[in-house]
Amino acid sequence: MATSTLVAGKVPSARTAATAATGEPALVRWILTGVAVVFLTLFIFVPLAIVFSQALAKGMGVYWASLQTPDAMAAIRLTLLAAVIAVPLNVVFGVAAAWAIGKFDFFGKSLLITLIDLPFSVSPVVSGLIYVLLFGLQGVLGPWLARHDLQIIFAVPGIVLATIFVTFPFVARELIPLLQAQGQEEEEAAIALGASGWQTFFRVSLPNIKWGLLYGVILCNARAMGEFGAVSVVSGHIRGRTNTMPLHVEILYNEYQFAAAFAVASLLALLALVTLVAKTLVEWKARRQLAESALWNGEAV
Amino acid sequence: MSIEAQNITKKFGQFTALDDVSLEIPSGELVALLGPSGSGKTTLLRVIAGLEFADSGIVLFDGADTTHQTARDRRVGFVFQHYALFRHMTVFENIAFGLRVRPRALRPSHEKIRAKVDELLKLIQLKNLAGRYPSQLSGGQRQRVALARALAVEPSVLLLDEPFGSLDAKVRMELRRWLRQLHDEVHITSVFVTHDQEEALEVSDRIAVMNEGRIEQVGSPDEVYHRPITPFVYNFLGNVNLFHGRINEDKDSPAIHDAATGDVVYVRPHLLEIHRQPNGGPNFRATIKHINSAGPLVKVEAITEWGAPVHVELSQEKFRELHLIKNESVFIIPKELKIFQKQVVS
Repeated sequence: MATSTLVAGKVPSARTAATAATGEPALVRWILTGVAVVFLTLFIFVPLAIVFSQALAKGMGVYWASLQTPDAMAAIRLTLLAAVIAVPLNVVFGVAAAWAIGKFDFFGKSLLITLIDLPFSVSPVVSGLIYVLLFGLQGVLGPWLARHDLQIIFAVPGIVLATIFVTFPFVARELIPLLQAQGQEEEEAAIALGASGWQTFFRVSLPNIKWGLLYGVILCNARAMGEFGAVSVVSGHIRGRTNTMPLHVEILYNEYQFAAAFAVASLLALLALVTLVAKTLVEWKARRQLAESALWNGEAV
Repeated sequence: MSIEAQNITKKFGQFTALDDVSLEIPSGELVALLGPSGSGKTTLLRVIAGLEFADSGIVLFDGADTTHQTARDRRVGFVFQHYALFRHMTVFENIAFGLRVRPRALRPSHEKIRAKVDELLKLIQLKNLAGRYPSQLSGGQRQRVALARALAVEPSVLLLDEPFGSLDAKVRMELRRWLRQLHDEVHITSVFVTHDQEEALEVSDRIAVMNEGRIEQVGSPDEVYHRPITPFVYNFLGNVNLFHGRINEDKDSPAIHDAATGDVVYVRPHLLEIHRQPNGGPNFRATIKHINSAGPLVKVEAITEWGAPVHVELSQEKFRELHLIKNESVFIIPKELKIFQKQVVS
């Protein structure tokens, strides 16, 4: 492992190290760093601290009690349910799409890439509205759904659909550059050695992209649990039934139950912190892998 | 197993990579596909392997049509130019891969796989590196692992794409001798692609020289080197002097007439002799412009009496004997000339 660690250590440092030509005077460096620190403190650390201090303002008893109300528990369950359905589906889709884009050339490839990015560029509220217009009572498919007694809007399926839509690009976007950098020689080698398509995928392709995939999953999950806009439009805010955690926070806040609102919010903030740590770890691993495959290809030329 | 490719044509968009190519490879031979980049040699190899499908034409293995079989079914060993080792697997696991992915009924037991891999590790002399990852190996070591991995499945045919292309000169030399030895031991039908004529001449039983999607000549190294049938083959296999003109049999006038409308005359640098006197045979005059005496042969650059550059190679003994100096006027006697009709060239 000695050589690979050495190489991995070298790549990022070469990117960030200041040379004589690009270096700045000490004063400039301090001012820039200072501005960044002040900005971070004002806009990130202080709000985060307030979330936790407000949540605990009335003591641990109130904190636990407000998390254990039936409505809060239902919101947590629904959020978890939406994530549990949306994340695996987007993993399957993301891997398939990235695989197709990274390894093959086909007609309409750039269109597919654009479509994958669509949920990033569309406002979440619009994403929610799309589903209302499709599946709502006055929507295109509304009457048909009503006849068959299926409810999508203002029900769990709508929330899951909206969550899937907004988290659509995360996995695919992570994997496309990785797969493109790796080329397809290893897959060709596996097939020439007699491996089937599935064996090639699970034994060769998947291990090569696992860190990138995990990174995508973490981001996808964070967004799935935290999504507000799109879910808000399709949910209907029925307490205990179609309220996710972010929606529940809003309702509590509007009802002046600040401690309870911040208690639920603190769970989301915790999720964000856990995501951040996991993301940093995986990102580091993934970057190392990308650097290695770049080196791998570069060296061979 | 013998391989036969018949009338293979392959296009990539507008580019014709293979243009009606036919090639027969007898069982047990080591054959080189030699040509410059873009000549279609790698494409032909990949078509034989089943990694690429021809637009038309068929590939026969031992007379059986494999045209519509994939690489998986053809049971070929393929060694990639950039090795394509599985980077997340150890050397051991890389070599064992082909055995481990077999259907359960055909899969050898763990002990058998271990024994097979150990045997191959011994063959490639990397027994002590079984636990390393590919990124911890040198280029030459990776190449040998790639070869062992291909041999592990006991393929009927071994195909190698520029096997030594990305190695430095010294390692390359060692590995190609090793490959030759290996082939003499294992006797598996092998085809390798190379752009290095020296490599092809040294390693292979037969050479197919390719140019612009066609095969120019197939023959033993001796044949293609000494009896090239096209100007391209003559040119590609070794250094060559090229004169436009006509041969003169008359003893008193220059051996080669300079004429724009004449044939093309080829002569290898070592088949030209430098003399101080015209000793009776056909000859021409030239002025020495540059002498490079480093290396086993002395390389002399001169300008002929009609103003064309000419390269001559002579032994160190001969050079010392002659005491050649720059800007000296000498007589050059061609020992062997190869003439190609003008029409062939154009």
